[in-house]
Amino acid sequence: MVSKMKLARIEKGLTQEQLARRVNATRQTIGLIEKGEYNPSLNLCIAIAKELSKTLDDLFWEVEL
Amino acid sequence: MKSWITFLLPNDEYKEKRMLYFLSEGAIILMLTLIGMIIMNNYLKLDAETYLLLSIAVFLFYVSVRYTMSGIEYTDVSTERSYRKELKHIFIRTGSFVSIYILVYLIFTGVPSHKNEWIDIIGLLVCVGLVWFITSYISLKRSYKKNKELL
Repeated sequence: MVSKMKLARIEKGLTQEQLARRVNATRQTIGLIEKGEYNPSLNLCIAIAKELSKTLDDLFWEVEL
Repeated sequence: MKSWITFLLPNDEYKEKRMLYFLSEGAIILMLTLIGMIIMNNYLKLDAETYLLLSIAVFLFYVSVRYTMSGIEYTDVSTERSYRKELKHIFIRTGSFVSIYILVYLIFTGVPSHKNEWIDIIGLLVCVGLVWFITSYISLKRSYKKNKELL
């Protein structure tokens, strides 16, 4: 399953590395978050949401269908 | 969160968290080693210096191995090109260390007069250089593999 964060990043035209630099993280950390292998802190979530012009709900809230 | 150890930790929060885990695990292993040594001291008489050096070695060895194997050192190496570039850097770094060390050694202690002294210094340098290169290589390989999976 492709994560909402990855879709939002691609939609914004950013690479993992570019996003990482903007939120003061490493490319590896962004990759791990997108794969669901790392739970970021609230501060990092907010920084990512701001960079991708999305809300926290848009990126991280899971809706059961 | 502020702590005096903050200056030793990386800025990236994932790396920081992993490092804190490694250091904590190392501290617990060190404590168990020390308990083991207290018990062993009843049967095996070693001097205090040996025990102290052994304790430091256990801690450093554990933390270094965990860090090397975790693949978090080279966070941006995810392509064949960047992998080769980094490998080249490791070669240069190891070579520079060995050259600078031998130069500083020769300046401060003078040129060894006996064959045995040469063997000692070269043997030591080859071992340190090899260990450094191999650990860096393993770390790079693990990082590259991990990063490729995250693309």
